Parts: sequence; structure tokens; C-alpha cells
Amino acid sequence: MHRARISLIHAAITAMLTLGVAAILTSIAYTSSVLAFIGLGLAFWGAILLYIRPEEYTKKVLLEAVLSPSLTTLNEMIQEFAYKGDATYLPPKYFAHPGTTKIYVSKRKDASLPAPEEIQKYENQPVARTTQGLLLTPPGTQMSRLLEKSLGTSFIVMDLESLQRKLPKHFIENLEIAENLEIQVENNKTCKKTDGTTSPLLMKNTTIHAKITRPIYEIIFKQTEDSQQSNALIGCPISSAIAIAIAKAAGKPVRITDLKSSEDGNILEASYEIIEG
Amino acid sequence: MNFPLSFWDISLLLAVTAIILLITSELVSPYYGKTNLIINKKRLRNIALAFSIVFLITVAIRIFDIITST
Repeated sequence: MHRARISLIHAAITAMLTLGVAAILTSIAYTSSVLAFIGLGLAFWGAILLYIRPEEYTKKVLLEAVLSPSLTTLNEMIQEFAYKGDATYLPPKYFAHPGTTKIYVSKRKDASLPAPEEIQKYENQPVARTTQGLLLTPPGTQMSRLLEKSLGTSFIVMDLESLQRKLPKHFIENLEIAENLEIQVENNKTCKKTDGTTSPLLMKNTTIHAKITRPIYEIIFKQTEDSQQSNALIGCPISSAIAIAIAKAAGKPVRITDLKSSEDGNILEASYEIIEG
Repeated sequence: MNFPLSFWDISLLLAVTAIILLITSELVSPYYGKTNLIINKKRLRNIALAFSIVFLITVAIRIFDIITST
């Protein structure tokens, strides 16, 4: 059906161009301005349609069907292995190759991150189980690479401010991942002291909120939101790609602290926390 | 055996085409939520801008003609 539609478009474009050129040639022979207008119009529009003809598209439902099992497997694997810790997106400083992106899920809750040398041992493995935690390739890796390609630069050379400014344009216009993306950076300067009291400016935690309107994978996002039973919030490909971008731009580990979607699934909100220290 | 349209006829055709393309490009922009139209929207925007610029060049030529003829 899709192939038939494409060949129909090709036939229409060829017919318009042929008729247009024929009309222009006839208008010259008979000095007819009406034929010249018709010919130029047909030739112009034929050329325009040829230039803006559709790219290769895949049905959204197929994409979701293909993607859904791999995300479910990822979440089930974390639950099966009983990893209690948070999923942390590691920044480039943890890897020998700066382009590498991994998620670290610790075995115990509130466990600290391992040293970069420890992580580098397992860098080239897609999934690595250590005694302390699990190292995974995030679901948004390829999408973050597409975003980097669209930006023409790596997230590593960007800072949070430029990411906040530049990412929505490429997200909306170039890749058409969603209809809108709003990124808000919040510096939460209140932090608990060791004695339990709160003190401003003791430590600066940065929280980032991303509001995604009508994303392409809204069903996947909803499924991810429902299937997250462990503490490890890995996210869907879109929220994961944003987490990778933040981790690379900030150069610090990042956690997804909250994922929620509206009732109709059109608005998705994800909160990220940059881990200082 | 001459081409029957003058420079100004072509300019008019360019103006009409540019307006149609610019309006279409704006309406199918991802910001308006019309993302279900399967065309290369970036190329559509570029071609709309190209047509508009060519039309403006014809207008500039016309203005230059008026100034130099007086």
C-alpha cells in the first residue's frame, strides 16, 4: 500500500513535469501566454513536489510494537536481579571513550557510585553485572546520537544553558520527536546538614524538569511509567536521551527522579537530578 | 518563436507561488501540531524562502528600473 502510494506520487510528479515542459514549448511555438503560465506553474510545482517528496516513514504502531518488549525486558531484568539502587546515567569522565553512555544500577539502595577505573573495565560490554551493580546501555543512546548529529556537535562540549536553549529546536523541528519540549533548570540550594537541620548554600543540587508535549512514543512512555516498580528509573527512549544529554553537558552523574504523564498521554514530564560531588 | 511571458509576469508567478509555499510551510510546521503530513518540511521551508527571495530580487530590479528611468 505504502509502495503503491509512493509510485503514485512519482507518477504524478513525472506527469506534472512532462506536461509543464510540453506546455512551455507549445506556448513558445504559438506565443500563448496562457499556455506559458500553465506550463510554468506545472513545471514549478512538479519540481517542488519532487524536492519535498516524503522520506521513508514507518508506522508509529510498528515502532512501538518493536520497542516495547526490549524496554520491558530491561525493567524486568533489574527487578529479577533485585537491584535496589537508583539508575544513574554516568557522565563521560567514567569512560575511556567519551562518547560511551551507560546506566549504573547499584545492588543496594543509597550505595555510592564506583570509581571510573572500575566502570572502565566493563565499558565495552552492553550489559555487565558486577558484585556491586549492573551496567547497562540506556534505551535512549541512539536517539541522543541522532540529536548530537542534528546539533552538529557533541553534548560534551555544551553546557546546561546552551542545552536548554538549543535542544528544543532540534527536538521539535529537525527530528520531530515531540510537538514541544520545555526544559527548566532549578538550583535547589537547600540541603540537609548532618545534624538534620536545613541550611542554604551548603550543597547545590540541580534539578531539571522536562515537559514533553505529544511525543512520538507516548504509549511507550505510559508503559514505562506503569512498569517501573523498582527504584531504578531508566525511562523511555526520549526521557533517557534527555538524561544522556544532561549527563554529558553537566559532566556529572544524572538520575531520573520522576516520570509522569497526563491522563491522555499527551503531556509527559520527567525530572532529573544532577548528582554533585 | 519568443517566450510569451515578460519579466513581470514571471515575477507575479513567483509572488503567488512564494505566498502559497510560505503559508503551507507555516501551517505544516511542527509548532502547529500538523505533524501527520508526510513531506520533508525542512525542504518545503527552504524552497518557500528561496521563492520569496527570488521574488524580492525581481521587486528590487523593478525599483532599480524606476529609479534609473526617472
